[in-house]
Amino acid sequence: MTDLAADFDTWGIPSRTFLVFYLVATVVLVIGALVHRRSLLSGRTAPPADQLGPQQVAYLNGGEDLAVWSSLSSLRSQGAIGVQTTGALTAEGPLPAGVTPLDRAVHHAASQHHSARQLRQTEWVARALTELREGLDRHGLLVGSDRRAALRLGPLLLAALLALGVARIAAGLANGRPVWYLVFILCGLAAVTTVLFVWVPRRTRAADLAIRRLRQRNHHLAPASNPAHAVYGSAGLAMAVALYGTATIWALDPTFAEQAEIQRKAMTPGGATTSSCGGGSTAGASGGSDGGGGGGGCGGGGCGG
Amino acid sequence: MSAARSLAARQAELVLALVAGGPPPPGFAPGPLAAARAALLRKRAGEVARHWPLLAAGLGGRWPTVFVEWAAGRPTAGGLRDGWDLARTLRARDALPPLGAEELAVREAGLRYDGQQPPRRRRLPAVGRASGAVALQLAGRVRLLRPAR
Amino acid sequence: MTGPHGVGIGWRPEIAGFVAELPGLRFVEVVAETVPIAGPPPAGLVELRERGVTVVPHGVRLSLGGAEPVEPARVAHLATVAELLAAPLVSEHIAFVRAGGLEAGHLLPLPRTREAVDVVCANVARTQAELPVPIALEPIAALFDWPDDELDEAAFLGEILERTGALLLLDIANVHANARNRGTDPLALLDRLPLDRVAYLHVAGGAEHGGFYHDTHTDPVNREVLELLGELCARHRPPAALLERDGHYPPAAELRTELDAVADACGFPVVT
Repeated sequence: MTDLAADFDTWGIPSRTFLVFYLVATVVLVIGALVHRRSLLSGRTAPPADQLGPQQVAYLNGGEDLAVWSSLSSLRSQGAIGVQTTGALTAEGPLPAGVTPLDRAVHHAASQHHSARQLRQTEWVARALTELREGLDRHGLLVGSDRRAALRLGPLLLAALLALGVARIAAGLANGRPVWYLVFILCGLAAVTTVLFVWVPRRTRAADLAIRRLRQRNHHLAPASNPAHAVYGSAGLAMAVALYGTATIWALDPTFAEQAEIQRKAMTPGGATTSSCGGGSTAGASGGSDGGGGGGGCGGGGCGG
Repeated sequence: MSAARSLAARQAELVLALVAGGPPPPGFAPGPLAAARAALLRKRAGEVARHWPLLAAGLGGRWPTVFVEWAAGRPTAGGLRDGWDLARTLRARDALPPLGAEELAVREAGLRYDGQQPPRRRRLPAVGRASGAVALQLAGRVRLLRPAR
Repeated sequence: MTGPHGVGIGWRPEIAGFVAELPGLRFVEVVAETVPIAGPPPAGLVELRERGVTVVPHGVRLSLGGAEPVEPARVAHLATVAELLAAPLVSEHIAFVRAGGLEAGHLLPLPRTREAVDVVCANVARTQAELPVPIALEPIAALFDWPDDELDEAAFLGEILERTGALLLLDIANVHANARNRGTDPLALLDRLPLDRVAYLHVAGGAEHGGFYHDTHTDPVNREVLELLGELCARHRPPAALLERDGHYPPAAELRTELDAVADACGFPVVT
């Protein structure tokens, strides 16, 4: 009758009871982790979208690179930055009024003849970018290291639960007990834990929302609108780069973009197809008027009209 | 009716003279007509530059001259096709600036253009090349693989 | 569905953000051929409509003066755009833009003959039959004249307006350009035009080039045009005046100054 020991429940807890408690604990912890994650990623404390500056938006949208391009294009449009044929930047004249710390850093790095691609690595720009990032983190827009650590608390608890389950399976196997239900639950739990641990977004939902809002409000700055940047000024240009990427710089100032080796992204031809003209076959003649720079697609004769 | 036809013929003559290098129709003062022809070409240059900003930027200050030289006497097929035809002509002459070559490669990868019919979007993946520049189009997105030099 | 009032500006995608920010704006014009009829109108125009801003579709490629009958598809497009934008009227030019299968790429003048009057009136009638709203006709700026003009400008326009019942869209910069290039007196023309038929005015910039004044729409409005605008409004002020700018856009402040100058010359409230 020493065999009876084999009938004893593992750890003295009957399988069914353990399973029920384990399942409940799993569900509670997963829901708890998701709620915790949701609240951490909400960015409730974030300022309204219209209080964000172009460089903040650029950082949220495209990271450090885009923040630098946004600053560079705005300085360039104010005539504060030039470029040599070697690709080395130059600082032209004094800094315009109302610049950000990043502008100041980029201007300084340009005065040291760094190339556009090196800007990020320079001490001044790197420091300004850190400042920018920390500000965004503080405002609940960007997921910084503190928030990232807090986000991993949930998955860590889940991992502990997972370890308990593994131990139970090992003990159960040693006891020759069936463990299939538990294995099944563990697989699901392991998958959820891994996903929650690995998948940490760069920015909060408040940041997603802000970018969506700003895109809506600034659709006139989208490259497809062929925006007249002279009208919108350097702030508009900085926002256009922040929201729509470096294609804006290429469209506005190709010579500068080429010499400064500005990153070439999304260079898909915009507005180049034959659409949007009434009466297709004769979509020939022209819009806008003399000298160029305007006209929407097929306007036929801005002049004389 | 015959009067309307004659007006039609005379209008056609005038357009031919203004955009296709036709002889000046009788009776028109040559000076103003020449001014109108030049204004049309300037306007067209602006229109093509809007469709081909990199080509125009690549040619820089030479853009108006290069365009007008090419376009004079050649009726427009629209800004997109005019620029395309010009870019191909320059490529054949080895006179395409790098920026223009990159723009042409991107266009060739994204759209199919036979020089006769309006360009159509390519459905299959394609590679566009021009003077060393190589562009790749996959599922409608075009990427420049190699810049021109 | 109110007609154009006060100072307006030509809406172009390039400056849509600027136009959207003009607080007092009640009226814009859009190049009809650039408005797609398959999908919704451009978002910027929809927003203006929601604000109650009047949007007038301005056709540039109907070729009302072409000896061939106006193309039904183009008329249908213009009519649909008018409906989409709930426009109170549309406008087009007294000009032709293609002939013999070739596009001129520009608005070309007609001979001022009775035959041309017939051609224009027939095309306008065909267009009016399909349009849900009235049409205003705009005389163009011409760099050259036909050798066989029978009528002067005022008689030519008067006859067309009389026979079609159309409204007049008077471009004050074109009046200036024609007078300057033909060496005639712009005021004499203004005195003979039916100013009570003017639906609204166009004001635009131009430049001197090789001895001619070119109506470029890419240069600032010059003083003479503004003075002429003042003269016109002193005679009979139309309900609205619209600034057209099609390229080489200046900084926003300069555009605002131009809009204010137009308002000032006409005695309209400023919209900036």
